[in-house]
Amino acid sequence: MTAVAALIQVLGGLALAPLLPGLVQSLKARLQGRRGPSPLQPYRDLRRLWGKSGADPQPTTLVYRLAPCVVAAATALALLLVPIAGRAPDWSLGNDALVLVGLFALGRFALAAASWDTGSGFALMGSSRDLTFAVFGEPLLLLALLVAAFPAASTDLVAMSVAAGGSAPWGEPAHWCGAAAFALVVLVETGRQPIDNPDTHLELTMIHEGPLLEYAGRDLALLEWSGAARHWIVLVLAAELFGPHWGGFWAQLGWLALGLVALCTALAATETAQAKMRILRVPGLLAGGCAIALVGLASALVGGLV
Amino acid sequence: MTQHRAAPPARQATETASVPATTWREACLAERDRGGRFRGAYATATDVGHRWTALFADGATTRLLSTEVGAGELVPTIVDLFGAADWDEREARDLHGLGFEGRDSARPLVAHPRETASWTVPVRGEGPYQVAVGPVHTGVIESGHFRFHVVGERILHLDPRLFYKHRGLERAAEGNSPERGLAFAQRACGACAVTNSVAYALAAEAAMGLVPDRDTRRGRTLVLELERLYNHLNDVAQICAGVGFAPGNMAFAALKERALRLNHSLARHRFLFGTVAVGGGGVEVSADDADALLGGLRELGEDFALAWRELSFAASAQARFGGVGELSATDVEALGAVGPAARAAGIAVDGRTTSPGLWYGSDFAPAAPPEPSGDVAARLQVRGVETAVTFELLRELLAEPIGPGASEHDEPDPRGVARVESPRGETVCAVELTATRRIARVHLRTGSYANWPVLAHATAGNLLPDFPLINKSFELCYACADR
Repeated sequence: MTAVAALIQVLGGLALAPLLPGLVQSLKARLQGRRGPSPLQPYRDLRRLWGKSGADPQPTTLVYRLAPCVVAAATALALLLVPIAGRAPDWSLGNDALVLVGLFALGRFALAAASWDTGSGFALMGSSRDLTFAVFGEPLLLLALLVAAFPAASTDLVAMSVAAGGSAPWGEPAHWCGAAAFALVVLVETGRQPIDNPDTHLELTMIHEGPLLEYAGRDLALLEWSGAARHWIVLVLAAELFGPHWGGFWAQLGWLALGLVALCTALAATETAQAKMRILRVPGLLAGGCAIALVGLASALVGGLV
Repeated sequence: MTQHRAAPPARQATETASVPATTWREACLAERDRGGRFRGAYATATDVGHRWTALFADGATTRLLSTEVGAGELVPTIVDLFGAADWDEREARDLHGLGFEGRDSARPLVAHPRETASWTVPVRGEGPYQVAVGPVHTGVIESGHFRFHVVGERILHLDPRLFYKHRGLERAAEGNSPERGLAFAQRACGACAVTNSVAYALAAEAAMGLVPDRDTRRGRTLVLELERLYNHLNDVAQICAGVGFAPGNMAFAALKERALRLNHSLARHRFLFGTVAVGGGGVEVSADDADALLGGLRELGEDFALAWRELSFAASAQARFGGVGELSATDVEALGAVGPAARAAGIAVDGRTTSPGLWYGSDFAPAAPPEPSGDVAARLQVRGVETAVTFELLRELLAEPIGPGASEHDEPDPRGVARVESPRGETVCAVELTATRRIARVHLRTGSYANWPVLAHATAGNLLPDFPLINKSFELCYACADR
C-alpha cells in the first residue's frame, strides 16, 4: 500500500496535477454560464508549450535561465514530502512540514530573482506583490500547519495526517480554526480570487502571472506545471490535514479524491462569487487568517493543559 | 442671426465672431464670463497663415470665436484659463505647425519623438519610478501607451500617449463633397459611429443650409439611443471585468450582445453603420419593425433591471468601486470633462438637453446619480440611471413608425457646427465648405477626446492595480482620438 501511495505521490503530482486547475476553470465556466474549456486544457497547453523553445530577453543572466528549473525542482521535491492517504514511502527526505514552507519560499525567491534579472516592470510588480503577500502568507502557512501538528505532537506530515483522521479532531475548536486558516493558504498559494485573478489580461493587476510574462516555451511549461503542482500540494494537504477521512488506506484514498473535487468546486464557486480584492487589503485578510490560526493554537494549548 | 430659426424644425444655433490675436485671451475670458463652456479649438489653413477657432457651448447655442494669424505668428495660449484647451493646442502645433505664446511647454501630442523626457511631465523627488504600459497590451485593446510615475503602488502622475493609429481622417475628408464626407466621420470610431455620423451630418447640413425634417430627427435620435444602449451595457460589463467580477461581466456582455443583435435586425449592421445620411433618411422603421424592436427592447429592459439589481447586491464588487478614481466638480469644470464622467461628479451637462436638431423632449434632464461622488461607483450609477432612461426614450420613439426622412432648405451658416451627446460625452463637429460646396475643413472633437486628459487626472493618487478599473469606468475610445 505504501507503494501505491508512492505511485500516486509521484504520478499524481506529475501527471494529475494539471487536472486540478483545469477542473477549476471548467467548473467556473459552467457557473458563469459559459461552455468553457475542457478540464484537460492545461495538458494541451503544456504539450504546446513543451514543443516550443524558450526565449531569453536581453540582457539576462543565468538567474533568469535557471529560475524555471529551480522552481520546478523545488515543487517536485515538495511533492515527495506530501503523504497520500496517511502514507508516504521513505525517500530519505523525511516529511517535515517546515521543509515544505522552505521549498515554497525557494521557488518564490527564484522567480523574484528572475524578475530582477529581466528588469521587466510587470514581472517586478508581480514579484514585489507576491513577496509582500508572502510576508503574511508564510506565517499563515506555518501557523496553520502548527495547528495540525499539535495533536500529532510532531511536524511530520505523515503523523499529522494520521492524527487528523477519524472523528476526534472535529471535536476540537483548534481543528476548525486551522481549517479556516488553511482555506486562506489555499487561496494565496494557488493565486486565486479574491487574492489574485488567474484569468486576467490586465497586466497592471497581475501578481502570480506577472513574473511569467517574460517566459516562453519549455520554461513557461515548467512554470505552468509548477503552478498546477502547487495546486496539487496545497489541495492534497488541505484534504489530508483538515478534510474528513476515515478508515483504512483505500477508504482514505476515496476521501482524498472526494476532498480534491470538493475543494476544486469550492475554488470555482469562490472565484465566481467574489470579485478581486483591493490589493492593499489582502495583507489584512492574511493577517486575519494568522489570528484565527493563533486562536486555534491557543485553544489547543489550553485543551492540552486541561 | 438665428431668430427666424427658433420655430421648428429647429437647428443648432451658431454665432461667429472674429477678434485680433492681441485680444484673444480677453475675448475667450469674456466668453467664459457669459457662461460659455470651452468645447475645443481647431486650426484652419488660410491664404496667409491659419485661422484659430475656439468653440464655446452656451445652452443650445455654440459660439465660434476665431482669430487670424499670419505664417510664423504666435497665438496667445489660453491653456491657463481653460485646462481643456491643452490637447487642442498641442495637436494644432503638431499637425498644423501653429505656435503658441505664453505656454511653458507644448509637449508633443500627436507627434511621437523617441525621448521619453520630451513628452512626459518631469516627476522628481525621492523614489518615484516609471511604469510603461502598451502600446501593445496583453489583452485585445486599442493601441495606447501609458507612462505611470509611481512610488510603490501609488500613482503620482500619468502621461497617456495616444495617436498611434492616427489616420488623418480630417485631412483626407477635405475636397470631398459634404455627402461623401460622412464616411470619414463615421469611420473615425466603431463604437461611436452613430454619434460621429450624426454630429457630422448636422454640421454639414447647417453649412449647406439644410434643416432635417421630423422623421430624420426621430430616426437619428433612435439610432443614437441604440448606440448608447449597447455602449452603456458594454461599459458596465467592462467595469465588472476590471474587478474580476465574472458574473457581472458575463451578464452585461450577454445583454450587450442582444442589443447588438437588435441593431442588426433594424439596420443590418451590428454597429449601426449606414443609418445616417446627410440631408436626411438613412433609417426607416415600419410599424412592424417598430413592434419587433419594441418587443426585443422590452425583454432586454427587464433582464437589464434584473442584472442591475444583482450587481447592486454583489458586495465584493461594489466594495471596489467607492472612493476610486475620484473626480471633483471643480476638476470637471477646469478640465472640461463631459458625459457620464461629468454627471457623476454632479455637473449636470448633457448634450441631449441642447440638441434641437434631434428629438429629445424639452423636459429632458441630465441623469443625476444618487450620490455624485465622482468616483467609479458614481460613474457606474450614472450609466445605470441613463440606461433606464434610454429604454424609456426608445419606447417613446418607437410608438409610431419612422418614415424616409428628408430636409428642408434654409439659409446656410458660414460654418456648420453640431454638438451631439455620445455615450462618452459631448461630441462636437465643425464643417467648413468652399464656395464650390466641397469640404474645406472638418473638425471632430469627440467626448473621448475631451475626457482622456481628465482620466489621466482622475488616476493620480490611486493605486496602480486600480488603474484598469478607473480606465474602464471612463471607457474612452482610442480611435476617437486617433481620427
